[in-house]
Amino acid sequence: MTRTHRSVAAIALLLVCIQAQSCRAQALTGSVSSAAAGAMAGVLVSAQKAGSPVTVTVVSDEHGRFRFPDGRLSPGQYALRIRATGYDLAGPRTVELGAAPTDVAITLGKTADLAAQLTNTEWLMSMPGTAEQKRPLMECMSCHTLERIARSTYTAEQFVPVLERMARYANNTIQARVQMRVAPTQVNDGLVRKLAAYLATINLSSAPVWSYQLKTLPRPKGRATRVVITEYDLLRRTIAPHDVRTDGAGNVWYSDFVENFLGELDPKTGAQREYPIPLSKPAFPTGALDLEPDANGDLWLAMMFQTGLARFDMKTKTFRLYPIDGVANDDAMQQSMVMPRADNVDGKVWTNDVARHAVMRLDLATGRYRRIDPFAFLAAGHLHAPYGMAADAGNDLYVMDFGDENIVRVDAKTGAATIFPTPTKNSRPRRTMLDDRGRLWFAEFAANKLAMFDTKAETFKEWDAPTPYTYPYDVFCDKNGELWSAGMASDRVLRFDPQSGRSVEYLLPRPANIRRVFIDNSTDPVTFWAGNNHGAAIVRLEPLD
Amino acid sequence: MMRRIGLHRTWLRPAAIAALTLAGLAAARAGGQMTFGDDTNTSANDGPPFFGFVRDGDGAAVGDARVTATVKTGGALVTATNSIGVYKIAGFAKSIDPGDIVISCAKDGYKQTNAVRRPNPPGDMTDPIEVDCYLQKE
Repeated sequence: MTRTHRSVAAIALLLVCIQAQSCRAQALTGSVSSAAAGAMAGVLVSAQKAGSPVTVTVVSDEHGRFRFPDGRLSPGQYALRIRATGYDLAGPRTVELGAAPTDVAITLGKTADLAAQLTNTEWLMSMPGTAEQKRPLMECMSCHTLERIARSTYTAEQFVPVLERMARYANNTIQARVQMRVAPTQVNDGLVRKLAAYLATINLSSAPVWSYQLKTLPRPKGRATRVVITEYDLLRRTIAPHDVRTDGAGNVWYSDFVENFLGELDPKTGAQREYPIPLSKPAFPTGALDLEPDANGDLWLAMMFQTGLARFDMKTKTFRLYPIDGVANDDAMQQSMVMPRADNVDGKVWTNDVARHAVMRLDLATGRYRRIDPFAFLAAGHLHAPYGMAADAGNDLYVMDFGDENIVRVDAKTGAATIFPTPTKNSRPRRTMLDDRGRLWFAEFAANKLAMFDTKAETFKEWDAPTPYTYPYDVFCDKNGELWSAGMASDRVLRFDPQSGRSVEYLLPRPANIRRVFIDNSTDPVTFWAGNNHGAAIVRLEPLD
Repeated sequence: MMRRIGLHRTWLRPAAIAALTLAGLAAARAGGQMTFGDDTNTSANDGPPFFGFVRDGDGAAVGDARVTATVKTGGALVTATNSIGVYKIAGFAKSIDPGDIVISCAKDGYKQTNAVRRPNPPGDMTDPIEVDCYLQKE
């Protein structure tokens, strides 16, 4: 059966179950052990019903026991999966759930291929080299894992054309679909060769095994085991969920970085809908990035290489496109961000002009964009890149300078820019949110830090991520003042209390390339949502405390 | 001419080197082209950097004070002093007349009394410009 057919069948079955309320199985519980370690704590145990796109995961406690929450699994046959670095599932691989409680004894065996289980973070921990040598690798994760580099056999010389080829790929490229840029790219031959030479020292070009020891992070323990994770597989591998958020009715909306549609998921039934966005530039890469609601609750998308912005009317379920007219819409034109939250104030929506390192402002009345270069008065020599955006109540813009180290405020009335360099140099602030106390929470991608900029006091605070090389992409401050973050490297969701400094890192069941993170504050405890950008899945994480 | 050795232009260099490196694989950088680093630090095209102390009425250094460099033609950059009351601001665009940049300072519980600019020799467009800023307890 194809993936699509399986999913449709599963959705139909789920709907029947929900209506009947009669197909709930008794609880699934069990134990995890191995010959080498005895009872094993911190092992992720996943159950996926045959034909269903939904996988539910729990974590074994300090006694090696696990329990799926009552009512989550309906009767039927389930495939079992585990995640415990260094181990593979020995058995059983399936379990039949019926009306009676089911207890399953899961056994693990030592893995023969540890490298296949390493996260990008663990590869970076393991690889020899200076921070300067490793720094370019954080860009590689945008399209593929570092395992791919480590397993390659290219020599330095062979790497050069590979890197030059990848330089022509659009950002919205995943392994399931490569998209080429239309505008020509320039590469610095010296830096290509320098990177190629380094990569040839960490891969398998000179020996059949790595010259360095593979280092791994410890398994989850304590609070990190008290969690339920639900993954919703999307209908095709070429779907790359980038930004994910819920609406007031509990439905999940996501931007697709590769295919050209806005996605909707009903987590109660698993039903999925796709709203195709009309193509503006058919010969160009498809896919959208930033997904943000406006003051009216309609959703806006930044259309990347399709250029311009798209507004989705939540009532009529139709799009209105705001194209960029004329000569400005050249082959390099690209919009990655949109900020419409205060569009009711002055009828303006913020976006960016990636190629020209500028911000733009859409006037809703005229449909015209005005370009503002907030860095025009700064010294040359630094690459600036306006990225994550937030708007305050007056529609003043706060934008992250992802190329460098600045938070920038652009005045809604005058367009004048105020630059606030972060305390940490070369921090590369990425995505952000503004809370109702005027605090801007953001991820310092290259500095491995979470940070806060108080827009009233104009002061910063920064906190180191507890694990090195996690490269946080985004941060969300929940209703309790706790921070949630994730990224492309560690397959972990970070929960951090800036008051106490305590942190919890929840391991995810599968390799997860996470971009935007979102918290649904309507549940208690809160619920974390994100897209697995390379895994074609929506991830829901429910902490149990 | 007085040489301010510790704060001479060279303090800009580490940042410039890091920028060159990280620009390497810039594909994911907000969609910037994957340039492998055509980022340049043509310091000859920059205006002079600014630096100085923030002090209180007794001449004591004030740490964690906010320092704003306001460009008369539009725009501003806001930084803070370190624990010994020193701030540093990288150069502005060469098109900006250094005379059009006003340094001011602020901190909760204080108000600014003065900002003293130490003039560079006529025609010196590259040496850092020192502006010391003074606060008084309110």
